[in-house]
Amino acid sequence: MESWCGVTLLLQQHLKILSAGLKTYELPQDYSGVVIPEKPKLKFLNKVPNFKKAKKEMKRLRDIQGPAKGATSFTYGQYAIVAMGGGYLEWGHLEMMRLTINRQLDPSTTFATWRVSAPYKPITRKGLGQRMGGGKGAIDFYVTPVKCGRLIVEVGGRIELGEVEGVLNQVARKLPFPAKVMSKESLAAMHQEQAEKEANNQNPWTFQRIARSNMLGLRRVISPFDLHNHGRFTGKFFNPSRV
Amino acid sequence: MAATLCSRILLTKPGCLPLAQSVRHGSKAVTRHRKPMHILKQKLLAVTEYIPPKPSAAPGAYPSQTKRMEQESGLVRFLKKKVETTFEECKMLVVVQNNATNAEDMLLLRHRLHKHDIAIKFFPNQVMRSYLPSSQYRNMLPLFIGQTVMFVSKEPKVKEMLRVLRSSPQMILLGGCIENTMLSREGILNYSRLPSITTVQGELVGGLTLMTSQTVSMLQRHPAHLSALLQQYIKQNQPGGTPESTAPETTPKTEGAAV
Repeated sequence: MESWCGVTLLLQQHLKILSAGLKTYELPQDYSGVVIPEKPKLKFLNKVPNFKKAKKEMKRLRDIQGPAKGATSFTYGQYAIVAMGGGYLEWGHLEMMRLTINRQLDPSTTFATWRVSAPYKPITRKGLGQRMGGGKGAIDFYVTPVKCGRLIVEVGGRIELGEVEGVLNQVARKLPFPAKVMSKESLAAMHQEQAEKEANNQNPWTFQRIARSNMLGLRRVISPFDLHNHGRFTGKFFNPSRV
Repeated sequence: MAATLCSRILLTKPGCLPLAQSVRHGSKAVTRHRKPMHILKQKLLAVTEYIPPKPSAAPGAYPSQTKRMEQESGLVRFLKKKVETTFEECKMLVVVQNNATNAEDMLLLRHRLHKHDIAIKFFPNQVMRSYLPSSQYRNMLPLFIGQTVMFVSKEPKVKEMLRVLRSSPQMILLGGCIENTMLSREGILNYSRLPSITTVQGELVGGLTLMTSQTVSMLQRHPAHLSALLQQYIKQNQPGGTPESTAPETTPKTEGAAV
């Protein structure tokens, strides 16, 4: 009986994995603060806002120009698509995003929210073959203007980046402006890196310094917009390598 | 229709639009394409590019001044405690290299060693390397390289262990610490050839009582033999003096007669 007990003990002891090295495992993420809302999927956004009377608007391209003022940081989610340039999001883009992301979402563990509103800016188009003149065209469709640095869609839940990265990259590629998939940490890291670059720049000549003091009279060729944004933005384009 | 030329020069207020404006109709500020920049602006952007700081030495040239202390995980600390208790309890610790042992062979080996109360312990090399330098066994560090296994037991049963190891040729004995002495492979083999304590004690006792036993045996023999031996002994000690040899000759005879 004793020997039989000894044999089983040996067997049990022997069933462990033998190795010369020791693997240290990373602790799994702590999802204690994560709350999945009741409707975790992206909601449907209307093509046309419900006005009684639709008003035609001016082009006002400055709603695409420059850095974003609002919706630049995370609220509930952990990962998001961030716009790296300016552009207009049409209903088709929004539908594509909604369908792709909702298809891949697991409602029990993941949730997604919009960080842009439904299209509200009317874009007018004249009919085909019309000559110039004859008033402003009729409203064709509505768009949402997006500036550089704005969050488009936020995704969160009991997930890791690798799980959602694929879908979000697929969606980001189809957007009319360059977009990147970022997590909270990577966004903070990006801002941190920019600040570090500005601090340890070895070049004594910076765009801001030259433009502000109007050296060589360069204000002649630089707009006040460039002066304000230190030459990082040109129209709707963003240049991340500029300091 | 003729192209209209818009000509609009605003008042030059500070912070307003640039002083010189083109009067020809061009594209707006925000375009779908990248607008061609004025050459001076291009030059300005080229001059004000980011220059990263250059390290004085190449990244790998000098060793880093601050040594990075890695925090040991809980598992490593737990295993270290286990190693400590093993080292304290066991008198015999032998390090053996195992090369591609089957699970079946390992099990058989374990069973055979278990009969002699020898346990097989597996500790990761990382744990051993962090524990040994701080203990008194730091000279055992070079033994723990590669796939190693430790045979530990409370009693030093080297002969039985070697007998068992003979059956598994792939387990190579590297060295060990038996009763607080570091032994190499040859040392362990020599240790196994040592006689047991009782034999050694017997030998010691025999060695100590050698002289007395010899004298007893000599006295038990014929007295003539003893006298001859003694005469020879005297001759050896005093090679010149014959009268001295005769004088003691009589005393042993009387002694022999008395016996």
